[in-house]
Amino acid sequence: MSQSEPPGGIFGLSYDGEMRVTEALKLVSTAIIVIVGAWPIYWMTQLAFTQYGTVESSVTVFPTPDIFTFDNFTVLTQPEMYTYMFNTVVVAIGTIVTVVLVSLLAGYGLARLEFPQKENFARILLIGYLFSPIVIGIPLYQIWQNIGLLGTRTGLIIALSAISMPFAVWLMWKYIMTIPAAHEEAAWVDGASRWRGFRDVVVPQCRPAIIAAALFAFALAWNDFTFAQILLPQTDTTTFAPGILRAMGQAQFLPDAYLMAISLAMTLPPLLFAYFMQSYLLKGFQVRAL
Amino acid sequence: MASETGESIRPGRTYIPWDDLPVKRETVAGVGTILPVVVLYLLIAVLPIAFAFWASLHHIHTLNPEWQWAGLANYREVLNISTFWGSLWRGIIYMVGSTLLQLAVGLWMALVLNRITRGQKLLTAVVFTAYLIPTIIVSLVAMRVFDPAGGVFQMMGAEWFGLWGGREAPLGSRDWAMRLLILIGTWKFAVFVTIFTLAQLRAIPDRFYEAAKVCGANRWQMFRDITLPRLMGIVLVVVLLRSVFMFNKFDIIWQLTEGGPGNATTTLPVLAYKTVYTDQAYGLANAISVVMFLFLLASAIVYFKIFNPSEEVETTT
Repeated sequence: MSQSEPPGGIFGLSYDGEMRVTEALKLVSTAIIVIVGAWPIYWMTQLAFTQYGTVESSVTVFPTPDIFTFDNFTVLTQPEMYTYMFNTVVVAIGTIVTVVLVSLLAGYGLARLEFPQKENFARILLIGYLFSPIVIGIPLYQIWQNIGLLGTRTGLIIALSAISMPFAVWLMWKYIMTIPAAHEEAAWVDGASRWRGFRDVVVPQCRPAIIAAALFAFALAWNDFTFAQILLPQTDTTTFAPGILRAMGQAQFLPDAYLMAISLAMTLPPLLFAYFMQSYLLKGFQVRAL
Repeated sequence: MASETGESIRPGRTYIPWDDLPVKRETVAGVGTILPVVVLYLLIAVLPIAFAFWASLHHIHTLNPEWQWAGLANYREVLNISTFWGSLWRGIIYMVGSTLLQLAVGLWMALVLNRITRGQKLLTAVVFTAYLIPTIIVSLVAMRVFDPAGGVFQMMGAEWFGLWGGREAPLGSRDWAMRLLILIGTWKFAVFVTIFTLAQLRAIPDRFYEAAKVCGANRWQMFRDITLPRLMGIVLVVVLLRSVFMFNKFDIIWQLTEGGPGNATTTLPVLAYKTVYTDQAYGLANAISVVMFLFLLASAIVYFKIFNPSEEVETTT
């Protein structure tokens, strides 16, 4: 940052002084973010590796060798917990696939094809944000019961897909608008059909938007409690969040150390996603209009 | 532009006389692409809302399929029950408090994450994880650290700052339950703001700042004249989304306090849920849902009238 003529600083500080103040602020801020952001995750991890007898009786900061254990993770192999986690994974994957396919198609249509009421359609989609999961879930319970989707993973996947849909469609629409139409036209000149142009030219270029939409859908499905609580009343098809809450209500004995071991297992996939996908994710969200 | 040239280049498998039909081929294709969205939307948004409205006009016991016509009686009851107005007020406090805090924290985190040079990727991943992990886990960890038996935050609050008594559970305290809900929610959801603003910050070309520096602008001026205007559009959208999401929030409140102690953290979604499953009044609960939706719709329209985020966004595209 060499500059022959340093500009005037804030509050009459010299350029160097200003640099030092911002550097200091940045350092303090980073420290706070590290502590506040990483701390709960650290705490969860250390409790997961600590013998639960110790967790119940005192505050531990680090699992020293005498209280360190892997035993807490045996809870993951219990049939109940295994079912909950398996169901969550199935629902998350189902939601991601549905959302990406449908939003890619609709995004392409909105960006490249002219049809009446296009803009109004997109606006009405946004009203979908105003529906609380509770507002939708309570009537949906009856509707799903009547058409036989109550208590099925498919029913939950449909509900969650529809909730992430408006956002994903807008994201995809705006992202495809940033891809020059000339790329497809070139493919058409070479004899490709519109479908092939879409598949081979547009879709590969949409990777950041696809990943952003997929991550949004993943966060929604992985997070969901409300819909699963209402729409999956039986234990054998339920997902992790309501399942664990019910298990805690029924079982008098579900030690915190076990809960933390389960939590750690459920936190690792998001952490890995966030680490490896972040540049795509941020690129996908760079579209300026939502 | 595609339809004129496309026809001659692409051989169609089946012959459809598009020129003789009253609709254009492109219109059919366009409507076809949004058809799945429309179906899902009808199924999950329009149908439930219509159903809720219809149900709200009946007296329905949750476990009994008998529907008794009630007209507007449920709505009169909703507006007369004291818990409704209390819940609406608490919901507004929760919504405004959470949104403001999340906006401040989220913006700050984005600005810092954009500037740090070492460990940026790792720290960004850790921050993003907060938004991606299941809410139930945030709740479990929060319940653990605020538990009077060995909870580290409970202990710090009681012994270091004297905020509450040593044996007291802050999540079960009338004074602290709502504040902690806002704080815990902020830990998780501020990241939503961070993701969007960070993406916008990354999109600002460095040459803007270099040009400003040449012109003698200081850091505050650069922030005010370059960064802030670029963020404004997205901030308006994010504030709208976060307010709506927080007003509708059910999961984290139910998991942490179930609306208690007493009604201290009962917001409208919690009240609706309780009305269905505790009071077994399905019709009344649907009336609450409809009122909630109308309230949000009215607020959103006012927000659009005042700030017009879509126009703001469109001009910056």
